[in-house]
Amino acid sequence: MQTFPIQKIVEHGPGVKSFYFEQTFEALPGQFVNLWIPGVDEKPFSISCEQNGLTEISVKAYGPFTQELMKKKVGERLGLRGPFGHGFSLKENSLLIGGGIGIAPLRRLAQELSDLGMRFVSLLGAATEHELIFKSHFQEISTCYFYTDDGSFGEKGLVTEHLLQIIQDEKIEYIYAAGPEIMFVKVKELIDPLSIPYEFCMERYMKCGIGICGQCVLDDSGVRLCVEGPVLNQDDLKGVTELGKVHRNATGRRE
Amino acid sequence: MKTNFLNLQLNSPLVLASGILGLTASSMKRVVDNSCGAVTTKSFNLEARKGHPNPSIVPFEHGLLNAVGLSNPGAEEAIKEIERFKQVSDAPVFASIFGRTIDEYGKVAEIAVKAKPHLIEVNVSCPNVRSEFGTPFGDVPEDTAAITRLVKQVAGDIPVSIKLGPHGPGIARMAKVCEENGADAITAINTVGPGMLIDINVQKPVLSNKTGGVSGPAILPIAVKSVYEVYKNVSIPIIGTGGVTHWQDAVQMILAGASLVSLGTAVYYEGIDVFNKINMGIQTYLEKFGYESIEDFRGGAH
Ligand SMILES: Cc1cc2nc3c(=O)[nH]c(=O)nc-3n(C[C@H](O)[C@H](O)[C@H](O)COP(=O)(O)OP(=O)(O)OC[C@H]3O[C@@H](n4cnc5c(N)ncnc54)[C@H](O)[C@@H]3O)c2cc1C
Ligand SMILES: Cc1cc2nc3c(=O)[nH]c(=O)nc-3n(C[C@H](O)[C@H](O)[C@H](O)COP(=O)(O)O)c2cc1C
Ligand code: FES
Repeated sequence: MQTFPIQKIVEHGPGVKSFYFEQTFEALPGQFVNLWIPGVDEKPFSISCEQNGLTEISVKAYGPFTQELMKKKVGERLGLRGPFGHGFSLKENSLLIGGGIGIAPLRRLAQELSDLGMRFVSLLGAATEHELIFKSHFQEISTCYFYTDDGSFGEKGLVTEHLLQIIQDEKIEYIYAAGPEIMFVKVKELIDPLSIPYEFCMERYMKCGIGICGQCVLDDSGVRLCVEGPVLNQDDLKGVTELGKVHRNATGRRE
Repeated sequence: MKTNFLNLQLNSPLVLASGILGLTASSMKRVVDNSCGAVTTKSFNLEARKGHPNPSIVPFEHGLLNAVGLSNPGAEEAIKEIERFKQVSDAPVFASIFGRTIDEYGKVAEIAVKAKPHLIEVNVSCPNVRSEFGTPFGDVPEDTAAITRLVKQVAGDIPVSIKLGPHGPGIARMAKVCEENGADAITAINTVGPGMLIDINVQKPVLSNKTGGVSGPAILPIAVKSVYEVYKNVSIPIIGTGGVTHWQDAVQMILAGASLVSLGTAVYYEGIDVFNKINMGIQTYLEKFGYESIEDFRGGAH
């Protein structure tokens, strides 16, 4: 386990922060790290940016672990293991669909696509304006469509509202999505008939992050999300019967 | 590589060890599709357990240190996965059970038999729940004897293997106790330790549980020696476990006396494909020495 002092913290709004660490590895877009708060727990987080020698992760306060993380100050040491998993492929004329904190891994993807000069369009949604993290970055490097649940920024509603229209207008050839599982279900329903290839960046409860404990395995495919995922494409997802239905908690029980 | 073990027929002498990818039917199926001969479930007991917080599994240079803490969804839920597995695969599935008390072993075994696993493996030797359970039952001859008898009573014609660790009053002696009390096989060994790793910057133990069991290449010599001693002392077959990463390690286990070889941590080092690789290696070894099967050299080191 390697631990690193926090170099910098940026607060995007209440309960949403980015933490920066000295960059000691290169991660592919979509890959994640296991973040250890000594004495508390260790949980998976996507890398949201790599820039100026810093690795960034972006976190939304949720339960006990992320609440604890919000209290951390610059200079405090956290463990960082990774990068783990299989990331996004890089495709031209793509649409990046992000919901809530799912925008984090897409930020890293957008950075990479932009560096490579590949065209993409961003379709981002969140509960409220400050949870639309990185919106100005996305605006600088792509055409953007924004949605919020409360209408505080962009259109009021869900990212799936005008999805088909946007795909058509923007001549989209590839789709990436990251966000809550219910969003994947809706997106999948809409785009499966179009036969546009896609990749989803998914989440499951993780323990080892290295493919041995079996905690993150998806039924019925046997895919280990921490190794073969977290990014899965439409073919990987064919064998997955649990999407939007059940997932395993810490005991391994379906719920 | 067809292998007979007790009343079972396996397509390979390799077994997936308990606690590695054994939580669900779908992942056990994936392992069997990669030429593993039989699979062992994650150990389960009566009630669901969350296990210890993370970090619970950490790699170091020569293996893994783990204190997963026997997380499991509870026996009733676990046997559903065994049933699901049996629907999608013909490979034998071993149900690994444990209990917090001696009586609980009997109760869990009663639930396990409902799914008709091909073998019940009794975990009496997990070293990473000491803080909660105290000395493992597998270190106390009377407790191990009582558990063996209890599980055998409910198991009916399902064979029972007792999984031992290298600690306590000596594994060869403990194996004898199991044999005398009706065990059909011995699984040797569980993880070693407990051990500890400390982060030198945070200056605290890395595992949330502070201590955990050591597995992987670091423990191979201890495992080989344990199997060797057990083989000398009992006549029931042995599932050799501990540190097997390459085919040469598996051959060592068989030379020491193992009838089957199970592996877990190797999946971290070599991927799920490790079962294919080791099978091929053993096959080459058979050809090199002109053996028909692994029976021809089992226990050959004695
Ligand atoms: C590959 C991956 C990438 C992720 N990237 C980010 C990110 O960039 N930013 C972010 O804010 N969050 C991310 N998450 C989710 C993050 O791990 C959870 O928010 C965090 O674990 C919540 O912990 P908690 O104690 O605060 O909340 P809890 O109340 O304990 O849990 C809240 C939710 O998080 C899930 N969760 C809890 N523990 C784990 C765990 N060990 N592994 C996976 N999921 C868990 C639970 O299923 C629950 O739905 C990611 C998860 C995965 C699997
Ligand atoms: C992450 C992990 C979890 C384990 N969980 C169990 C378990 O639930 N029950 C059990 O009997 N053994 C468990 N073990 C021990 C293994 O089955 C095996 O005996 C040990 O790891 C040595 O083999 P290996 O070096 O091939 O991994 C676990 C080991 C690891 C690494
Ligand atoms: S988290 Fe352990 S296998 Fe994926």
